[in-house]
Amino acid sequence: MTDFFQHLVDGVSVGAIYALIALGYTMVYGVLKLINFAHGDVFMIGAMMGWYASARWTSEARHPSIWGALGITVFAMIVCGLLGFAIERLAYRPLRNAPRINSLITAIGVSFLLEYGGQYLFGPNPRSFGVLPHKPPLQIHGVSLGYVDLVCILVSVALMFILQRVVFHTRIGTAMRAVSWNPDVAGLMGVNTDFVISFTFVLGSVLAAAAGILYASKYPSVHPLMGLMPGLKAFVAAVLGGIGNVPGAMLGGLLLGLAEQFVAGYGNSSWRDAVAFSILILILLAKPSGLLGRTAAEKV
Amino acid sequence: MRRTTEGGTRTMPFILKRTLLARLRRFAGAFLPFVVAIPALYAIERYVAFGGFGLGYLFQNIDHIGIAVILAVSLNLVNGLTGQFSIGHAGFMAVGGYVSAVLLLRGPEEDPYRLFYLMTILAGSGAAAVAGYLVGKPSLRLRGDYLAIVTLGFGEIIRVIIENTQMFGGAIGLSSIPHRADFTWIWAFAIGTIIIVKRLRESTHGRAFLSVREDEVAAEAMGVDTTGYKVRAFVISAAMAGAAGALSGAFEGNLAPQSFTFVRSFEVVAMVVLGGMGSITGSVVAAAVLTLLPEYLRGLADLRMVIYSVLLIVLMLVRPRGLFGTSEIWDYLAAYLRKRRPAPATEVSAPGAAGEALIDVKNATIRFGGLTAVCEFNLRVRPRELVALIGPNGAGKTTVFNLLTGVYPPSEGTISIAGRDTRGLSPHAIAHLGVARTFQNIRLFRELTAFDNVRVACHHLTRESMGAAVRRGELSLIEEEWISERAGQLLAVMGLAHRKDDLARNLPYGEQRRLEIARALATGPQVLLLDEPAAGTNTREKTELMQLIRDIRERFGVAVVLIEHDMKLVMGVSERILVLDHGVTIAQGLPREIQSNPKVIEAYLGEKYAREHAAQIEGKAGRPAETLP
Repeated sequence: MTDFFQHLVDGVSVGAIYALIALGYTMVYGVLKLINFAHGDVFMIGAMMGWYASARWTSEARHPSIWGALGITVFAMIVCGLLGFAIERLAYRPLRNAPRINSLITAIGVSFLLEYGGQYLFGPNPRSFGVLPHKPPLQIHGVSLGYVDLVCILVSVALMFILQRVVFHTRIGTAMRAVSWNPDVAGLMGVNTDFVISFTFVLGSVLAAAAGILYASKYPSVHPLMGLMPGLKAFVAAVLGGIGNVPGAMLGGLLLGLAEQFVAGYGNSSWRDAVAFSILILILLAKPSGLLGRTAAEKV
Repeated sequence: MRRTTEGGTRTMPFILKRTLLARLRRFAGAFLPFVVAIPALYAIERYVAFGGFGLGYLFQNIDHIGIAVILAVSLNLVNGLTGQFSIGHAGFMAVGGYVSAVLLLRGPEEDPYRLFYLMTILAGSGAAAVAGYLVGKPSLRLRGDYLAIVTLGFGEIIRVIIENTQMFGGAIGLSSIPHRADFTWIWAFAIGTIIIVKRLRESTHGRAFLSVREDEVAAEAMGVDTTGYKVRAFVISAAMAGAAGALSGAFEGNLAPQSFTFVRSFEVVAMVVLGGMGSITGSVVAAAVLTLLPEYLRGLADLRMVIYSVLLIVLMLVRPRGLFGTSEIWDYLAAYLRKRRPAPATEVSAPGAAGEALIDVKNATIRFGGLTAVCEFNLRVRPRELVALIGPNGAGKTTVFNLLTGVYPPSEGTISIAGRDTRGLSPHAIAHLGVARTFQNIRLFRELTAFDNVRVACHHLTRESMGAAVRRGELSLIEEEWISERAGQLLAVMGLAHRKDDLARNLPYGEQRRLEIARALATGPQVLLLDEPAAGTNTREKTELMQLIRDIRERFGVAVVLIEHDMKLVMGVSERILVLDHGVTIAQGLPREIQSNPKVIEAYLGEKYAREHAAQIEGKAGRPAETLP
């Protein structure tokens, strides 16, 4: 039973990070119907920026403090927000009226660019990462809750709460939802679609940066290809919850993190990667619109 | 694929020459590329590659290109021609590679003529085809992005399975695989792949693939088994990727699961898109460019992949349709070589007389959630009858067509076509029974020519197998000739002969409508369902259309069911009218009776108007109208 709760805690902590990344995928898909494959790499850049800031500007790497970590996270968020803005502006906007497969290829190109550009700038080797202070894990009836896990869960929940408010209770959030229903009509109703799309990219990238810092703190290292698998899995999480659906991405991330942790914990950890994709296939074959997605029938 | 061919329209008037010489020529034509290519490839390898010119590195790259060509061209069959978006190609490559490698490692030391190796390639290719079937069958129900994601997922799962299987060497992979593949082998397979895909594309099957890409609903209505064709494209493509894997393994001498991640699949997708979706030439060129690019950027060491990705983005931004669009190198060549053959003067003839009622709908009801779109609908259409279906907007007229063509199954009631209950039949099967339709909002295959639009519709009348299409078999030649003939005549009948080679999307509106009718007629129907053919046409065109509908009935002997809002057209052309309102049949009878039916007037003009003008209506009708509930 202790094992069970331990896996539960670990699963929630990983799942919260997946959820943060998944939100970026799902929001961009919502407004643009584009699978932004570069999103996982924006996440990587976020972690890289965290490492860079902590190593370069402060001596936080040696004396981590929670306020230092916060400053670093904000810096990474700003950089990633700008990066997200630039990616959309330079790579995706010119292709907005082209077939969707083109945007997808461009997304793959951007993803390669960030990965190999990252390798060129940072070198291919992993570097250790530590912006959070070391604290002993909390012990609750034999279940250990690491300090990093605790921060992961709290930060993710806080960010998701803020996002929820933004999407459902602000003017720009309303505009985002309008664009996701129908960009042309939203434009006719006076919504500045270009601005909304840019904003969506920035928002998603900012969340990815936070997720990058949390992920790098949890598995304390950063390297240029670290965005590949978490990115792909977060995408699975977004599909699982119903792509384009904000609460769905949170739910999907959580479920995916839990499923992985339980399979790795009770079964064989080398099958961990297969879990995500098996779930993906099952959900798509059974309910392609995802758990919370809406189905739309084609009108003949 | 066997299809029944009966009735006047469904026989082939052409007979091929059966002399020995002619047969030999056809046989040579079918296999000529291989007869020439294999010795030529061998000679190049023997005297150029190993001729002491120090071309080892160049030829190694050329061999890599060959493998990339197989992958790109085979993926083009799925992504380009059939329009399904698969990004799991590396998984099938891995299946083929590993099956072949495991057999090779356990196979004999000596392999004279590499017959055993050939066998392992076929085994790998077969295994990949099976994997393709297992993946494709369930997931091809999905479309677009979702299909892409599922194929990506399957590709990754295949890799994880391989990584966790002892026999396949686990995460380390297999090494010291005998080097059995070389320039000749790789390029023989590459040429084979190109030829198979090219010949499929030019056959009726190729047009079926394209029709799936253009519009699945319309393709299904024209008698194309869309699911079947998607699965076929997927399986063929997977088999080819498997062969590429088998060649790659025996060429490099090792296989590692890390080389079959989704990054590999993306590379192949990039080749297809960069070359132009649907262009085989494009796939070949892009495969060469994208294989060579990183090689020759190697001098720039760390920056080469950065440059590669920037080039990919820039190319996509500058040429979004790919390098070649959908055009092919041989299309330009053929334009020079084309010889005009005299067309034999055959007529598209009327189908044989059918039985009692062609369409017999009994108490059909359909509900969408709580809404009853059509309620207790009854309709009998006899051969050569002209029936009109009218009613205000949202009355359920198009839904009736969707019921008849099997787009929706009825919630209750039965629909028989030519005496056969259509329950459980998919739209393409119903099209085979002799029902053809046009669509309210035109659904042509927009990126295909007018000629090809009509030829697609002849698809279900053909019997040629895919094998015959690839071999250029006798039946496929006869049928191709017959289809072209038939399509040409139908275009002429509809006054579209001059538009033959124009893309459907470039036709003016009225001609698009007529092309839809031509396409529907090409399926050899017994009943033609026309959904608002006069929408958006002017008075003169409407008069012409009226004449055209009568002509079609006379000429092709079909029954016509017409949905139309234009009363002049309806009253002028139809022999019997049904009026629907809110899914209920409120009246039916002769045009004259319908005109004065108070219920109809009420439905169209409102209760108030009907009451106020009651006397006038009575007077005009002369006698009380007969209504049926």
